[in-house]
Amino acid sequence: MGLLAREIEACGVTTVALANVKESAALVKAPRMLYLHWPFGHALGEPNNRDQQRTVLHDVFSMARAAPRPGLIVELPYQWKRQVYQPIDDWTGESQVFASALDRAAHAP
Amino acid sequence: MNDRDRLTPINRRREYALRWVNDTVVGERFARWLGKVLVNLQLRLVKLRFEGNIPWTPLKRPLAEATVAIVSTAGIHLCSDTPFNLKTDASFRIIRRTDSNTDFCITHEHYDRRDAIRDPNLVFPLERLLELEKEGVIGRVADVHYGFGFTDDPRDLLAPGRKVGSLLAQAGVDLVVLVPA
Repeated sequence: MGLLAREIEACGVTTVALANVKESAALVKAPRMLYLHWPFGHALGEPNNRDQQRTVLHDVFSMARAAPRPGLIVELPYQWKRQVYQPIDDWTGESQVFASALDRAAHAP
Repeated sequence: MNDRDRLTPINRRREYALRWVNDTVVGERFARWLGKVLVNLQLRLVKLRFEGNIPWTPLKRPLAEATVAIVSTAGIHLCSDTPFNLKTDASFRIIRRTDSNTDFCITHEHYDRRDAIRDPNLVFPLERLLELEKEGVIGRVADVHYGFGFTDDPRDLLAPGRKVGSLLAQAGVDLVVLVPA
């Protein structure tokens, strides 16, 4: 996944890769990665949970706009089924959750 | 075609194991551990190292004007297309923006595909992107998207990855969302 992201980005296209195995994501060093601790085969969430899926896409767009440097892995703290995903009002800015996750990733040692 | 017919059959014992991984906490932990170990081992074995510069292309235009495409490695392809080789396959399949969920089949033996075939947006969020195009959040959903299967040697993905990258660039795509299995 990360490897494909690198090849595509090298062709001049912005990429954001979703990841569900953190350690492997760290090895490949893709340009922009979002890590979600969710089950395999569920990168966007649960079947027919539109708000959950849109939340992930909103964060993908935020990452595309706001990632300050290559190689960052932003760990999104969503609790899979144990939380309610709200509809998104403002698509032009980052969500609070994403902004803090990005901040944590950018300041990680 | 019902959902079950749109999944390429895999070995029955493997299917049970994948369901155990999907449906139980212990199974999921085990699979995560195994996935981590195998990927590390694999990258080490083929001596593929990712050092030096990471490619970097900043987003060229505001999202509301950008063309967005999907690249998925969850084994998704059109049922009318040739299925992937389950063991390993670095080739890719084209999916158009006009294709719908009922046209999709999944050929992959490394995850529980039952939810993904019920709602392909989990691994191929085309419907969600089309909605966002309609709402004016993104400029355009690209005409062509790409599906990959499972590949056991990451080196095999370098050439097709570059090929897909150049096709996306030629098509004027600004942003690619990469979705794993």
